[in-house]
Amino acid sequence: MELLIRKIIYFIFTLFMATAAIFFVVRLSPGDPVERILGPDATDIEIESYRSQLGLDQSAFHQFIDYLTGLVTGNMGESLFSNEEVVSLMAQHMPPTIFLALTSVFLAMVIGSCVGVWAATHKSGWSDNIIRIVTLVSLAFPIFSLAPILVLIFAIRLQWFPVSEWESAAHTVLPIMTLVIPLSSIIARVARNKFLEECNAPWVTVLYAKGLNDFSVWLSITKVCLPTILNVVAIQLSVVLAGTMITETIFDIPGVGTLLFDSIQNRDYPVVQAAIIYSTAIYMLIYFIVDYINEVLDPRISTGGQ
Amino acid sequence: MFSWSNFNKEVKIGFSILGLYLIWAIGWLFYSLVLKGSFGRPYLPQTDIRRELFRPFQDGLVLGTDIYGRSLLEVISSGLIYSLGVAFTVSLSCLAIGVSVGYLTARKSGFIRSFLDTLTNLIFVFPSILIAIMIMSVLGQSFWGLVFALVVTGWPAYARIARGEALRVLGLSYVESAKAVGMGEMRLFLKVVIPAIMPVMLIHLVLGLGGVIISEAALGFLGLGGSEYSWGALLSTAKSVLLEAPHLVVSISFTMAGLIIGLNLCGDGLRDYFDPHSRKRKG
Repeated sequence: MELLIRKIIYFIFTLFMATAAIFFVVRLSPGDPVERILGPDATDIEIESYRSQLGLDQSAFHQFIDYLTGLVTGNMGESLFSNEEVVSLMAQHMPPTIFLALTSVFLAMVIGSCVGVWAATHKSGWSDNIIRIVTLVSLAFPIFSLAPILVLIFAIRLQWFPVSEWESAAHTVLPIMTLVIPLSSIIARVARNKFLEECNAPWVTVLYAKGLNDFSVWLSITKVCLPTILNVVAIQLSVVLAGTMITETIFDIPGVGTLLFDSIQNRDYPVVQAAIIYSTAIYMLIYFIVDYINEVLDPRISTGGQ
Repeated sequence: MFSWSNFNKEVKIGFSILGLYLIWAIGWLFYSLVLKGSFGRPYLPQTDIRRELFRPFQDGLVLGTDIYGRSLLEVISSGLIYSLGVAFTVSLSCLAIGVSVGYLTARKSGFIRSFLDTLTNLIFVFPSILIAIMIMSVLGQSFWGLVFALVVTGWPAYARIARGEALRVLGLSYVESAKAVGMGEMRLFLKVVIPAIMPVMLIHLVLGLGGVIISEAALGFLGLGGSEYSWGALLSTAKSVLLEAPHLVVSISFTMAGLIIGLNLCGDGLRDYFDPHSRKRKG
């Protein structure tokens, strides 16, 4: 319980630091949104009045206080361009991103563990060698080079799946494939190594001695490997987040990533901030939850240093 | 112990691939600096709009041309130099910062240690692509901006490993005796600790090079890279002509993949070779 409270306090502290960092860094960026909205013909007076209307003429510190109160009360301001509430913009763009990330993490865990266990139980056989080569090669194609190649093969040559829209289930296949391939390769490698490591443990010999068949023993070993796999997913979360955002921009999916990169192009401060802060918050939340689960499962990984 | 035949198969294949890429890079540098231009004024791929999107081997161009009518082979070669330059600059800077910070957190206590610990953890729990995007959009797109963004997100991993290694080394008896004979703090760090932790750190560096190349290309792909010859930037323009000229995406992707495979094989193989716990090790 004490651990949980300490974690929560630490979580809030990190989130606050992140918010502050994001706010000031976004403000430091070159380029003026007001000039961009009004165009080159605007007079100085127009620019000044619009600036004060948006609250951009106040000191950075004042803006920050306003911003923090807005964050707590759920009022994040409006987009500088579309006059939509930032919160509702985020709500519109959240579902595809969350759907993509969760589905691909889940699929990658299932596929990765199965492939890894298969490779470990067929160690040094031809299937193990093929799996090793495939995972090595698939890790060499990052999302943004894998996606065009998949599009080339499955959408242009074979014409199995459509791309560039976000309507039916068929549209989700290629983006999910793009995300699942690298992640499941990493998980398969880790699962294989961890499985082989556990194979030599004394308790496995005991299971065999008790007369259990191969399959039930493998199942028990896999169960022991699960925390390790979960941990890999936690470490890879940052990569998953980046991958999801890049995949969205490639396949034109109306998610948070597309929103973020469009807003960066337009210097749309409130939206950039909200997109980064929300993604950071969700990311940190999952990170801390996984960290907490791991510590409860395995008291050896205590970060407290006692 | 360090002879070529002792290394495992992974290291051998990895080193061979890397060797080919190095020869390519040096050959291109020689060609562009000495044969086509002069030192300090490198020959850059030339644009000719009438030659755009040639197929491979058309008109004597091995890989054809890109959308601006530049020879794709020359463009990819410039990208290779850029990628390698970024990867080594970033990794060596991360190594320097990581080892210093890691050693300090292992040796010191009190304010310095808790400050550095908090900083490392903060960067760790922050999604690294968002840090890099923020830094790149503030600093603008330049080589040093890119290096800075990647170093900021990269050094904590080195610091964590260096700290563990430093703690291990500081407990060894010969380090104890070095302290006992009154060796100065700086000399202890440079002469005793650094040589002891370097092998592990260098393996980590080789393992990290592929990641740096991917991160650099990712930023380039999103339009936040430091050069138009970044493989990521090339891929993002190639992607827009996927229907008309699929050879662009294929050549760039496979060039990048080859380099990353070489680096990963090398890193994994070296780690297995030096790790006494690894079962894969063969004498």
